[in-house]
Amino acid sequence: MKWLSNYQVSERLPIREWIPSQVQIRQYAEASGDFNPIHLDDNYARQVGLGGMIAHGMLTMAQMTAMLTEWIGKEGRVSKLDVRFVQVVRPGDKITFCGSIRDRSGNIIVCDVEACNDQKEKVLVGLAHIIRK
Amino acid sequence: MIGKEFIGRESESVVLKIKLEEVRRLAEAIGIPFNGEVPLTYVGTLLQANISGFELTNSGVIHGEQKITYQRPLSVGDSLTYKRRIKDVYELTSKSGKKRLVVLDTTGYDLAGELVFFSSSTLITPVKEDGQ
Repeated sequence: MKWLSNYQVSERLPIREWIPSQVQIRQYAEASGDFNPIHLDDNYARQVGLGGMIAHGMLTMAQMTAMLTEWIGKEGRVSKLDVRFVQVVRPGDKITFCGSIRDRSGNIIVCDVEACNDQKEKVLVGLAHIIRK
Repeated sequence: MIGKEFIGRESESVVLKIKLEEVRRLAEAIGIPFNGEVPLTYVGTLLQANISGFELTNSGVIHGEQKITYQRPLSVGDSLTYKRRIKDVYELTSKSGKKRLVVLDTTGYDLAGELVFFSSSTLITPVKEDGQ
């Protein structure tokens, strides 16, 4: 196992894969209280021009956080995560989360992060700050 | 339809206590093991602070950007106050048409008044042109 302190600038982070299902999206709506019908009603999502149901952006962001926290373990925590949702994520899409270290300063590690679908299109891009304990 | 007149409007402060069961359900929905820690995206569930006249589930609203910064981690049992404020409303035109963007800030404090987290959501809503 490699310690967080041994990661250097430009090194890549371990990847995480995720395939959202309609069941998970429903479960997330109930847990988060976000019942926007674009996440739950395929006909509604088509009517408003989205081409069908989409996953919550916050659910996709939560997967990115999961990737980071799995990598960090008990050695630190995510103190800041800024993301842009570039493309919609749909049930059944295979999403791959990845990242690399942009900078290190003191106990702060700054990471570029992104997620891509199975067409290699970016669905999320962002920046994370990790504080080492 | 939301316009620039909404800029600066804010909710009342909402007091909450982070409950074990809510956090466990959120972790399960995300698909991560629940180890007692509060997921970073927990702040995205803080939707109870209503801003007068502002409805999040307007037709076709999608999430464009999200920024979350924590001064310290949240823990189950923490008591917080938070409020939401509309920071900006502006329009953009792209090849997919005209869109209105709403920047919604959420700020959370502990009961001593210390800042605990800041979150900023950019929501995108399509603008119907004449004849659409």
